[in-house]
Amino acid sequence: MIKRRVLLYYLCIFLLLFGCADPKILERISLAVLIGYDVESADKVTATVALRSVNQELQSIVSIASQTDETSKGTRIKASLDSTKKIVAGQARVILLGSKLAEAGITQALHTTKMNSEMSSGLYFAIVDGEAGPLIERKYENISDIGQHIFYLLEHNIEEQYTVSSTLHETVRDSYSPFIDLALPLIVQDEDDVHISGLAIFNGDKMVGKLVGNEPFYVVLVKEKYNAGSIQVIIPGAPLKKLSNDIPDQLAIAIDSIFSNRKVKLVNKDTPEFELDIKVEGRVLEIHSSITTEDFNVMEILEKEVEKEFKKEIDKIIKKTQELNSDILGFGEVYKANVGTKNVDKKKWKELYPKIKVNANITVELLRNGVFD
Amino acid sequence: MSQAIQSKQYEKINAFLVFFIICGCQIGVGIHGFQRVIYKDAKQDAWLSVVLSFILAHIVVFVMFKTLEKFDNLDIYGIQREVFGKILGSFLNFVYVIYCTFAFFAVLKNYIEVVNTWVFPYVNPQFIAIAILLLIVYAVTAGFRVVIGISFFSFFFLLWIPPLLIYPLYFTNINYLLPIMEDIIGILKGAYSMSFTIVGFEILNIVYPYIKDKEKKSAEKYAHFGLLFTFFIYIIIMLITLMYFSGPQLERVIWATLTIFNLIEFPFVERIEIITICAWLLIILPNLCLYLWAAYRGVSSVYNLEIKRFTWIFISIIFIITFFIKTRTQINTMNNYFGKIAFIVVFIYPFILFIFASIKKRRKKGTGDTS
Repeated sequence: MIKRRVLLYYLCIFLLLFGCADPKILERISLAVLIGYDVESADKVTATVALRSVNQELQSIVSIASQTDETSKGTRIKASLDSTKKIVAGQARVILLGSKLAEAGITQALHTTKMNSEMSSGLYFAIVDGEAGPLIERKYENISDIGQHIFYLLEHNIEEQYTVSSTLHETVRDSYSPFIDLALPLIVQDEDDVHISGLAIFNGDKMVGKLVGNEPFYVVLVKEKYNAGSIQVIIPGAPLKKLSNDIPDQLAIAIDSIFSNRKVKLVNKDTPEFELDIKVEGRVLEIHSSITTEDFNVMEILEKEVEKEFKKEIDKIIKKTQELNSDILGFGEVYKANVGTKNVDKKKWKELYPKIKVNANITVELLRNGVFD
Repeated sequence: MSQAIQSKQYEKINAFLVFFIICGCQIGVGIHGFQRVIYKDAKQDAWLSVVLSFILAHIVVFVMFKTLEKFDNLDIYGIQREVFGKILGSFLNFVYVIYCTFAFFAVLKNYIEVVNTWVFPYVNPQFIAIAILLLIVYAVTAGFRVVIGISFFSFFFLLWIPPLLIYPLYFTNINYLLPIMEDIIGILKGAYSMSFTIVGFEILNIVYPYIKDKEKKSAEKYAHFGLLFTFFIYIIIMLITLMYFSGPQLERVIWATLTIFNLIEFPFVERIEIITICAWLLIILPNLCLYLWAAYRGVSSVYNLEIKRFTWIFISIIFIITFFIKTRTQINTMNNYFGKIAFIVVFIYPFILFIFASIKKRRKKGTGDTS
C-alpha cells in the first residue's frame, strides 16, 4: 500500500513537470498576427510581420518586423535577433502575398505555411495588388492594428459571401488539386485605406489575372451556394417603358437575401460540354421609384431581365477565365468525376479547358420586395 | 488441460465488456493518419478499402471464436501449446509476445511523435515516454480488472469525435468521391494497408478465458458490435477526409484527422487539435495496457513471473528501444513493418490456427472413440 502511494507521488511529480514542458508566457512572447511575403530576388523572400505583444502594464503593442532570407523560418530567426521577445506564429490570422510573388508562384509559400503545425488551417490567404511589405508597414491614420483590421476585413466579407473563402485549408486544397484553379481575394492599399478590390485568379500556382467590380459575385454564384448574398445589377429599361415614361434607359436594381443553388452536369464528354443550372431566389430591395412591383407582369419582366444580365456576366467570366486558362469555377472536378482519373490529368485538362462549352441556365425568382411599393 | 487458466472467479468479466475492449484496443494512433496511406493505394475509393477490411475483420473474429470455443478455458498461448506441441508451441507463444511488444511500442512511439510535432516540439521524447510508461505501470500492476476499466472509460472519450466532424462538412465536395470503383486492385491494396490501423481485436485471443463462463456465448455478439462501432468511426472519418481534401493534397497531409480538427475553432478554444492530442492519451491507454497485459500472459505461460516484476522489466526494455528509433523516417519504416507483421498475425494466422486446431481435435476424438 505504501509502495503504491510512493509510486503515485512520483507520477504526480512527473505530470506536473510535464505541464511545464514548454511554457509560453504571454508577456514574454510576440504574437505574429499578420504575415506578408514578397519576393525580393530570384530565391529570396521578404517576410513582413505585424506583431502584437502584451507588456507588463497589460497594454498591447503592435510592432512591425521585416526581414529577407531564403526560407520563411530564416526570416523568423533574423527577426528574432531583432526582437526582445520570442516570436510565435500560432495566432497568425492572415497571410498576404505580394502580387509579384503570386505571379512567380505561390506553392512555396503555401507549403511553408502548411508544414508548420503551429498554423491554424483557418487562417486566411489574400493577394496584395502591389507589395505586401509597404501595406503592412505603413502607419495608417484610422487603423491602429493592421493585423486585426485585415483579418476582420476578410472575415466579414467572406462570411457575407462578398468574396470567395480563402482559408489556408481551402487554398491548399485547390492549389494541390489538378482540376481546379485558385481564386483568392485581392487586397489593395489606397492612400490611407485598405480594401478588397476583387479576386486574383491563378493558372496553376501563378497569378494570371484579376476579376474586379461585380465579378466576384458571379464567381461565388457558380462555385458555391448563396445563403445571404446581395448584388446590384443594371438592366435595360426598355422592356418596362410601356408602364411609365419616367423609366430611364439604364435601370439599377438591388437584390438581397439571395439564396442560390447550383448544379453542374457534364452532358458531352468529347467537346466537353457542361450544363450549369443556377437557381436564385432573392428580394428586391431598391428599384427606380416609378416602378410599382405590385403588378405581376412587372416582376416577371424584372426576373427575365435579371436572368439575362446574370447569364451575360457568367458567360463573360467563363470566357475570360478560358482566355487565361484558369479554371477557378472547378469544371475540371466535375469532368474528372465523370470520366475517371485515368482519362484526364492536369495537362490534358489544361488543354481542354479553353475549349469547353458551358450552357448556363439561370432561373431568378424575386420572392418579395420591401415594405413600401 | 495443463495450461488452463486458473483465473479466480472475481477476475472474470461480463461479456458486454468485450465491446469496450474491442473499441478501446482498436482505436489508437492509426486513426490520426490512416487516410493518407490508404489513399495512396486506393485513391478516391479508399472508403471501400475500409469497408472491405472490416468485412475481413468480422470473418476473422468469427474464426477466432470458433477456435477459442474448441478449447474452453485456454487463451491463444495455451491453444498453441496444445495444438503444436511444447517446442513449436512455445516458440509461437514467444512470437506472439514479440508481436504484442511491437504493437505496444508502435502505439507509444507514434503517439509521442504526434505530441512532439503538434504540441511540444522542444520536449524530449524520452521524457514523454517515461511519463506515459509510469502511468501504464500504475494501471497494469493493479490487475486485469483495472485494465478493463480503463478500456471502458476510454470509450467515452471517443464519443466526442463524431459531433466534431460536423464542422468540416461545410468544406466538403462530393465530387472528390467520384468515380466509384475505379481500381479494384488498388482497393484491395488499400484494405491491406489498413491492417496497421484496424488491428487490436486480436486481443480477444487472450481475453476470452476471462469472460464469465455463462456469458461466453454472447461474447461473440459483443465483439461484432465493437467492430461495427469502430467501423462507423473509421468510415465517417474516411468519407469526410476524402471529401475534405483534394487528392494530391491528401497525399501530403501526414495526420489528416488532426489537420481536419485544426480548422475547427470555438470561441473558447481556438485550436481544438491540441486538446484532442492531449486527450488522446486516454484513448491509447487501453491499447498500451492491453498489449502489455497480453505480453504478460504469454510470458507467464512459460515462466512463473509476478505481473509487477514483468511490467517493470517490460517498460525498461521499451524505454531503451525508444532511444534507437528517433526520426520520422525510422518511425514510418517501423509502421510499415508492423503493418505487414500485423496482417500476417491478425488476418492470416487465425485461419491456419483454426485448421490445425480442427485437425487436432478431430484426431483426439478419433483416438478417444477407439480406446
